[in-house]
Amino acid sequence: MSQLIWNGLFVGSFYALVALGYSMVYGIMKLLNFAHGDIYMLGAFTGFAVLGAVGGVSPGMALPVLLGVLVVTMAVTGLSGVVLERVAYRPLRNAPRLSLLITAVGASFALEYGMRAAAGADPQVYPLRLGGTAVQVLGARVTLQQIALIIVAVALMAGLNLLVTRTREGRAMRAIALDPRTSALMGINVNAVISRTFFLGSALAGAAGVMAGAYYGKIDFLMGFLIGLKAFTSAVIGGIGNIPGTMLGGLLLGLLESFGTYWLGGEWRDVFAFGVLILFLSVRPTGLLGERVTERV
Amino acid sequence: MGKSRIALVWSLAAAVGMLTAGCGQGLLGGGSEEGGDKGPIALGMLVPQSGSEAAIGPYMKNAAQLAVDEINGKGGVLGRKLELKVADDACDAQTAVAGANKLVTEGVKVSVGGYCSGATLPTLPVFGKANIPMIIPAANSQELVDQHLKHVFLINGTGTQQATAAMAWITKQGAKNVALVHDNTSYSKDIAVRTQKLLDEQGGPETAILEAVTPKESDYSANIHNIMAKNPDFVYWTGYFQEGGLIIRQLRQAGYKGAIMVGDGSVSEKIAEIAGAEAAEGVYATMTQTPETLQGAETWIADYTKKFGSPPGPYSNQAYDAVRLAAEAVKNAGSTDGAKVISALEAVNGFAMFSGPLKFTPDHTLSTGGFQILVVKSGKFALQDALK
Repeated sequence: MSQLIWNGLFVGSFYALVALGYSMVYGIMKLLNFAHGDIYMLGAFTGFAVLGAVGGVSPGMALPVLLGVLVVTMAVTGLSGVVLERVAYRPLRNAPRLSLLITAVGASFALEYGMRAAAGADPQVYPLRLGGTAVQVLGARVTLQQIALIIVAVALMAGLNLLVTRTREGRAMRAIALDPRTSALMGINVNAVISRTFFLGSALAGAAGVMAGAYYGKIDFLMGFLIGLKAFTSAVIGGIGNIPGTMLGGLLLGLLESFGTYWLGGEWRDVFAFGVLILFLSVRPTGLLGERVTERV
Repeated sequence: MGKSRIALVWSLAAAVGMLTAGCGQGLLGGGSEEGGDKGPIALGMLVPQSGSEAAIGPYMKNAAQLAVDEINGKGGVLGRKLELKVADDACDAQTAVAGANKLVTEGVKVSVGGYCSGATLPTLPVFGKANIPMIIPAANSQELVDQHLKHVFLINGTGTQQATAAMAWITKQGAKNVALVHDNTSYSKDIAVRTQKLLDEQGGPETAILEAVTPKESDYSANIHNIMAKNPDFVYWTGYFQEGGLIIRQLRQAGYKGAIMVGDGSVSEKIAEIAGAEAAEGVYATMTQTPETLQGAETWIADYTKKFGSPPGPYSNQAYDAVRLAAEAVKNAGSTDGAKVISALEAVNGFAMFSGPLKFTPDHTLSTGGFQILVVKSGKFALQDALK
C-alpha cells in the first residue's frame, strides 16, 4: 500500500511539473499548448548534450553536476519556449482559437521530427544515471535519489507559486489572465509578460525532462507525447489555470495510475487515467480547485 | 486530442490509397506483366527506417542488397537482373500500408520485407490483391499465419515456436512461478499468451501473472509492483528493447533477484545500455539465429562487413535468405507470375538457408530451425543454449 502511494507520488510529481506550463499558458492565453510535452523532450535532450560536453563525472559528484545541468537546461528550454511563442503563437493571437490549436499541434510535430533529424531515431542513454540503493520507509522501497528529485520538483513548484502570488510579475500575470485588454491599458506590457510565462512553464518542463533522463536513463524523440497528454489530464483534474490545483492534479493522476494498475491490471492503466479525464470534463470541467472562469491564472 | 484527429485523417487517407491501389491493380496488373519482361525483376522490401525500430532497417536492407548483388554477379535470374526497392514502414500500420501501395505501383514481383508484425499485418491484403508473393524475413506473429493466406510465407520462427522455446528454457532452469509481461502489441501479446497456455498445460512451472504495460512510457513502477506482489522467480518480457531495458532496470531496482528473459524483439545491445550493464548481466533471450550465433557464416559476415563497413545485425541473415529464396522460386517457376512463384515456394525442399534446409509446412512456416537461448555477457548477447 505505501509502495503504491510512493510510486504514485513520484510519477505524479513529474506530471505536475510538466502540467504547470500547460496550466499557466492556458490561464493567461486560453491556449492549449500541445507542443509543451515536446519541450520536456527538448529538455531531456539538452541535458543529454550538456552532460556529453561536460564529460566523465565521478559518481560522488553526480548530484551537484546534475543540478548544474538542470539550471543550464532550464535556461535553454525556457528560451525555446519564448521563441516558440514568438514564432508560432504571437502572430495568431487574435486569430480564431482553432487556428492556435492547429499551430500548437504543428509546433509539436516540428519539435519531435526536428529532434529526430538532429539526434536520430534511436533512443539515447544518459551517461549519468541516478540509481542508488533503496531504503525501507514505512514499508515502501525508496531511494535517496528519488527523494532528491521530489525535493527539487517541490522546490521548483513552491518557487513558482511564490512568484505568481507574491511578486509584481505574478500580479501582472494574474491581471492579464483576468483581462488582457484592460491590463494593457493599465500599462502592463502584455507581450513581455506572456513571453516570461512561456519561459517559466518551459523551464519547468525542461527540468522535468532532465530529471526523467537522469532517473530512467532512456530518452527518445517521442518521449514527450504521452507525458504531454498526461500533463493535460492532470491540469484538467486539478483545475486548468489554477497553479495549486494543477500540482494537486498531477499528484492525483500519479496515484490514480498507480492504484488503477493495482486494482485493474496493467492493460487498464491508461483506460482508467483517461476515463477519469472524461469524467472530470463532463462532471466538473473546472477541476478540483478550479475557480470561477474569470479568476484563472 | 489534436493528434488523434490527425491520425484519423491519415488513416482515412491510407484507406483511400488502399482502395485506389486495389482498383488500379486489377486493371493494370496484366498490362505491366506483358510489357515488363525485359527489365530487371523488382523485389520489394518494407522495413523500418524511421520510428522506434529504425535501427533494424539498414541491417535488413544491406543484407538484401548483398544477396541481390551476388545473384546479379552470377548473371541474375531467368536472364534478368534483380533490383531491390525499399520502402519505410516506420513500424507503423498506416505508414506500412502506404509503403506497400508504393511498392505495388512500382511493379515489384516478390515482397521480401516485414519486420514489425503490427506493421506487416495490414500489408498482407495490399500485396495479396496485387498477387505478389510475400517472403517475410522477420515478422513472426501467429496472426500472420492464422489467416492462412496463400501468398504469405514466413522464414522466421513464429510465436508458437518462440513460446515453445521459452517454455523449454523455463523448465530447464527449474523455475516455479513465471511472470509474463507484454506490451499489448499483436506480436508481443501473442508470445506471452502462448507461453501462458504452455505453462497452464504442463505440470511444472505456473503462471504467476500476465501483465501488460503501455509502450513509450518511462515509469513502469506500477506494473513492477503488480509483478513483485506475485513473487515470481522468472520474468519473461516479450516486447521490444526500449521498454525492455527500462523494465529490467526497474525490476532490479525494486529488488527482484530471479531470472529475466526477453523475446526476440528485445535482442539489441541497446537493451543492456538502457538497463545498465549491471542489471542486464545474465538476462536470457529467446532468439532466432543471429549473425553472431551462426555457425559456419564467417565468410558471409566478412563479405557483408567489407561491403558496408560494419558487421551485420539482427535479421540480416533472414533478409539475405529471403532474397535468395525469392530468386530461387522465380527461377524454378520460370516466370514472375505470382501464382507460379507461390507454387514454386510451396515446392521448395531442402533449399540451404542459415536456419537449415528449408521446407515449408502447409501453414507456410518453417518446418525446422527456430529459436535458441542467448544470454547477456558484458553488455552483449552470446549463445547460451541452442535447444537442440
